[in-house]
Amino acid sequence: MGLYTKEIQNISDKSNESLFDFAVADDSKAEETAYSNYSYWRSTWRSFLKNRIAVFLLFMVVFIIGFTLIQPYLPSQKSPTEIYINPDTGMQDRNVAPNGEYWFGTNSIGQDLWSRIWEGTRTSLYIGFVVAMVEVIVGFTIGALWGFSRKLEVPFTQLYNIVDNIPTTIVLILMSYILRPSVSTIIIAMCITGWVEMARFLRNQIVILRDREYNLASKTLGTPGYRIILKNLLPYLISVIMLRMSLAVPFAIGAEVFLTYIGLGLPVSIPSLGNLINEGRVLMMSPDLRYQLIFPSIVLSAITIAFYIIGNSFADAADPKNHV
Amino acid sequence: MLKYIGKRLVQSIFTLFVIITIVFSLLRLMPEEGYLGAAAEKMTEAQQEIYLTNLGLRDPLIVQLGNFYQGLFQGDLGKSITYRTDVPVVDIIQDKMMYSILFGLGAVALSLLVGVPLGILMAQFKGRWLDRLGTGYIVFVVAVPAMVYFLMIQMYVTGWFGWPMLFDEYNPISFILPLISMALGPIASYAMWMRRYMVDELNKDYIKLARAKGVKERTIMFRHVLRNAFIPMAQYLPATILFTITGSIYIESLYSIPGMGGLLVDAIQRQDNQVVQGLVIFFSSLGIIGLILGDLLMAIVDPRIKLGKGDSVR
Amino acid sequence: MRKYLLFLTCMFVLVLAACSDKTDSSTAGDSNKDSKPVEYKTVYSGEIKTLNYLKTSETNEFAVAANLVDGLIEYDEYGIVKPSLAESWESNADATVWTFKLREGVKWMTHDGKEYADVVAQDFVDGLNYVLDAKNESSTSWIATVVKNGDAFNTGAITDFSQVGVKALDDYTLEYTLEGSTPYFLSMLNYVCFFPVNGAFLAEKGEGFGTTRENFLYNGGYILDKFEPQNERVLVKNETYWDKDQIKIDRIRYKYNKEAATVAPELFLRGEIDATSVPTSILDQWLNDEDKKNLVRQNTNNFYTYFYALNFNPQYDAQFEPENWKVAVNNKDFRKSIYHALDRVSAMLTNEPYNPKDLVSNTITPKNFVDVSGVDYTQLEPLKAITNNDSFNTDLAAEYKEKAMAALAGKATFPVKVVMPYNSGMPEWANRSQVIELQVEKLLGTDYVDVVIEAGPATGFLGEVRRPGKFSIIEANWGPDFADPSTYTDAFTEGGTYNKPELAEGYQEANGKNTYQNLVDAAKVEVEPAKRFELFAKAEAFLIEEAFVIPYAVGGGGYVASKLNPFESQYSPFGVTMEKFKGQTLLEKPMSNEEFKSAKEAWEKERAEALANASN
Repeated sequence: MGLYTKEIQNISDKSNESLFDFAVADDSKAEETAYSNYSYWRSTWRSFLKNRIAVFLLFMVVFIIGFTLIQPYLPSQKSPTEIYINPDTGMQDRNVAPNGEYWFGTNSIGQDLWSRIWEGTRTSLYIGFVVAMVEVIVGFTIGALWGFSRKLEVPFTQLYNIVDNIPTTIVLILMSYILRPSVSTIIIAMCITGWVEMARFLRNQIVILRDREYNLASKTLGTPGYRIILKNLLPYLISVIMLRMSLAVPFAIGAEVFLTYIGLGLPVSIPSLGNLINEGRVLMMSPDLRYQLIFPSIVLSAITIAFYIIGNSFADAADPKNHV
Repeated sequence: MLKYIGKRLVQSIFTLFVIITIVFSLLRLMPEEGYLGAAAEKMTEAQQEIYLTNLGLRDPLIVQLGNFYQGLFQGDLGKSITYRTDVPVVDIIQDKMMYSILFGLGAVALSLLVGVPLGILMAQFKGRWLDRLGTGYIVFVVAVPAMVYFLMIQMYVTGWFGWPMLFDEYNPISFILPLISMALGPIASYAMWMRRYMVDELNKDYIKLARAKGVKERTIMFRHVLRNAFIPMAQYLPATILFTITGSIYIESLYSIPGMGGLLVDAIQRQDNQVVQGLVIFFSSLGIIGLILGDLLMAIVDPRIKLGKGDSVR
Repeated sequence: MRKYLLFLTCMFVLVLAACSDKTDSSTAGDSNKDSKPVEYKTVYSGEIKTLNYLKTSETNEFAVAANLVDGLIEYDEYGIVKPSLAESWESNADATVWTFKLREGVKWMTHDGKEYADVVAQDFVDGLNYVLDAKNESSTSWIATVVKNGDAFNTGAITDFSQVGVKALDDYTLEYTLEGSTPYFLSMLNYVCFFPVNGAFLAEKGEGFGTTRENFLYNGGYILDKFEPQNERVLVKNETYWDKDQIKIDRIRYKYNKEAATVAPELFLRGEIDATSVPTSILDQWLNDEDKKNLVRQNTNNFYTYFYALNFNPQYDAQFEPENWKVAVNNKDFRKSIYHALDRVSAMLTNEPYNPKDLVSNTITPKNFVDVSGVDYTQLEPLKAITNNDSFNTDLAAEYKEKAMAALAGKATFPVKVVMPYNSGMPEWANRSQVIELQVEKLLGTDYVDVVIEAGPATGFLGEVRRPGKFSIIEANWGPDFADPSTYTDAFTEGGTYNKPELAEGYQEANGKNTYQNLVDAAKVEVEPAKRFELFAKAEAFLIEEAFVIPYAVGGGGYVASKLNPFESQYSPFGVTMEKFKGQTLLEKPMSNEEFKSAKEAWEKERAEALANASN
């Protein structure tokens, strides 16, 4: 009896210190086991380059963005807000069809449509990018926590329900009442309500994935939550996130168009694609003036198509199974 | 499962309470001019004060909220103030709901019937002409501003066929264009996501294995790929169907359909607090139910998904 | 519910129809079942919220009520008062007690055309009681306070309505006692707040009164046959109307369409409706098209007056230097330089590119509002000189600029920042602001003024911007309430919420009030119309001459295609009369603009004669 107790005591003494060692998860060692000369992003890029149309559109988007930035500094550009006076009549140069002087014509009060469109594109793209970035960052963070952690599921579901059900219109009216209608007002208002959809989308994706066997295995092996999210789930999701993100830019621009339609958009003294299209919409039935609708619509469509196709081919390229 | 649903429902009631309280408070921050309408210009300060006091807007917020909840428990959503003066909110919603639901359901059905098969076919023939055609359509719908092509459809198509431009309850011909217009967007988005998920699924190893084993392409498509690809869609379906009730603001405006589209925006802009609150309660309840149903449907379609802690038997 | 069943069936049929071929569509529709009754069809985008005419103050709402319920008086097509429910009336010498003899045998009808009761004097008492009772939240009560003790009852100082100055002496005799001398009281009766209501019916329906066509009693030219907000409303002729020969259109059908501005012109061309406004954006195309150019004509002006108010109590952000503006605006030469620099015609081009001068107004009180034995108010001395000269004058502007720069040197810093906000919900206003900014800066030079245009909120603009004084110059408007020039002075006298001209320096008189206030007060106590109007003209001329405000335009205008003749309708610059369909006919085809112009000329001539006759 006494002998055994001693023995056992010895064992338990030893076990405290040296009998078992806790293995530490070492990031660098984990990587060592991986495929050595394979770089995920390089492969993604390589397979993206294979899609010629997408590459072309990517160049186009870069060009458009670049052009909106340098356009005001180019020679012989007109101001987007100045009202031009016809020297012959002394009156405003209203509704002038496109010509050498006004490349895209003028609008109903004699402003140059060419510069207005680029100014508007600049405003709209700016809104689109900022909103898309905020949506993706906030949406992914919240969505990942919401979908992955069972403890957080209930409070986040509540939060989602609350934010999702407060009408955006109320928020927008209040924002424009408190902050005055402006670009930042519209960005803030769109971000306040915009991230929820992204969060929910990602949460659903994660709920689908989180109980898959490989995640269960990871968990049993003691991998911390953040690592599962970043290393197991994120790569899996990167293709849909990319698609969402590339769509978020045109969606934000579209949302701005819609807000203008219901009267909560930017004031017309700040040109944006929403304003230009809304002003042009009523002219659809008069063939002579239709150019005021067509030009901004083409720009909007081109941007949307470009982002859509780039997003889709990037999503294809981001799927490791499409890599060599 | 039942326990899980019960728990979710109880939580939802709490959520609803928070939503209403927040919306209620936000509405009280709105500029007061909206309540006065055209009369604002002519009334003296004192007269405005009397008017606003009689509307109950000078009571402390907590008293207003209390009154509102008291009415709510008796099943009374209150009466409209500036939208349709003194008409019960319930009546307003009831009058409009059916139009939106019927059009909405029609559009959902049409878009599922066309959109999902289109997506499947596009995935199946990925990279070929059908895929390109479908992509072209999707790109068009996404890219051209909706308010432009809706108006175009209305103006030109009615002109070509000699159809009436406006909606007329007694003339079924006038239903066609709004219905089609309403379905154009959803068809594109169903097709787009269906294709995306299908393509993702088709790239998976088990499919390669199945092919290697010589399983028929048909079987692979319908028993494996389609089912897996449908899971993410299932989540949204109940909410989509429930939310047909909110109607479409553009299309209903263009065709004079007396539905719910734009009701919320109108009511907010006119600052009809009672109507806004009523609608928020109504829509939030639908949204919450839609979310629960979506989770359930997802769990049913995909047995790997477990909901709630209590049921995790596996 | 049955309607929905039908609707469902239709949906089902539609699905079937969609499967079969669609060639038989042209025969569908019930457009010409019976061509006999005259029907007028139109679409509208602004929905009315109530039929309760005792509560509303919005034009489109009392426009409906005006066709359903009659008041004591109405106007003929030249704007001369004529009897309606009152057959005759008289007032005492100082115009404080008015007695009306009512028409006998006028009936209240229910929505299904059954007689409900006679219209009696007590109905007018009940109507006023409802309006003045604060708990009914009537937004026209402020105008009804002209009646003795009306204000006291409205604010709750007295609770006994029998002390208020309205009595039914017998079933057909009605007497109003007023707070003070009000020679223009008759014109106030043209407002819905003096309309009758059947007390028993009102009590029975309570809050439901005016919410549906069933909860309403009719004694006017039309009865509501259908009232579905956001869908359709239909008015049909009241066959028992006391003056039914004057009702020439049998049926009026309004269809709701939120996009009416875009859709209506096309509907008109296809013959689905009988009237539409033609937005300036598509006007070019209509005027250049052989088929369409004779369909479109100018619309009549209304009596809203638009003006630019110079603020004497600026309260905006320090970054825009309100104190500097305050120094500048108190200099008359500075004000005059802006007054003469503002090119109102070029500003007007933003909403009236073809005939901008038809809308520009040189005075606050518009033309054709009131007259002294046929001479229009705006042609009275000393207002006449202002009316007949355009304020825009580049030479004078430059001259006053020089003077102002000399006078203000060392006191104010140049360029003076001029904050000019606009409502972001109104694109035309935004456009106009941009035009003005550019035009004024170009003319006066950016070394002199720096116009800053700022977008204000679409909701709550007045409360957020104009009332708190967050502007240097603002475009503002005002509409008349009764036939007296004093209705246009309220905005600028003490207690007004516009630009606070009472704070202008250097106009203080011995009694502590400023000159304009004293001029208006003197005019208000004068009862004899000719003298009274002259005194008001003097006050208005002072207000404009000192450039406290810059008159800009009158409301209305624009272009329409309509089968109605605007010169057949009853005419008055205020109240409900203009909204009546009574007396109007449906033309075979719309008036062209030439026809409109000649008809307008003829009408103006006939009106001058009619007014001269009436005053004799």
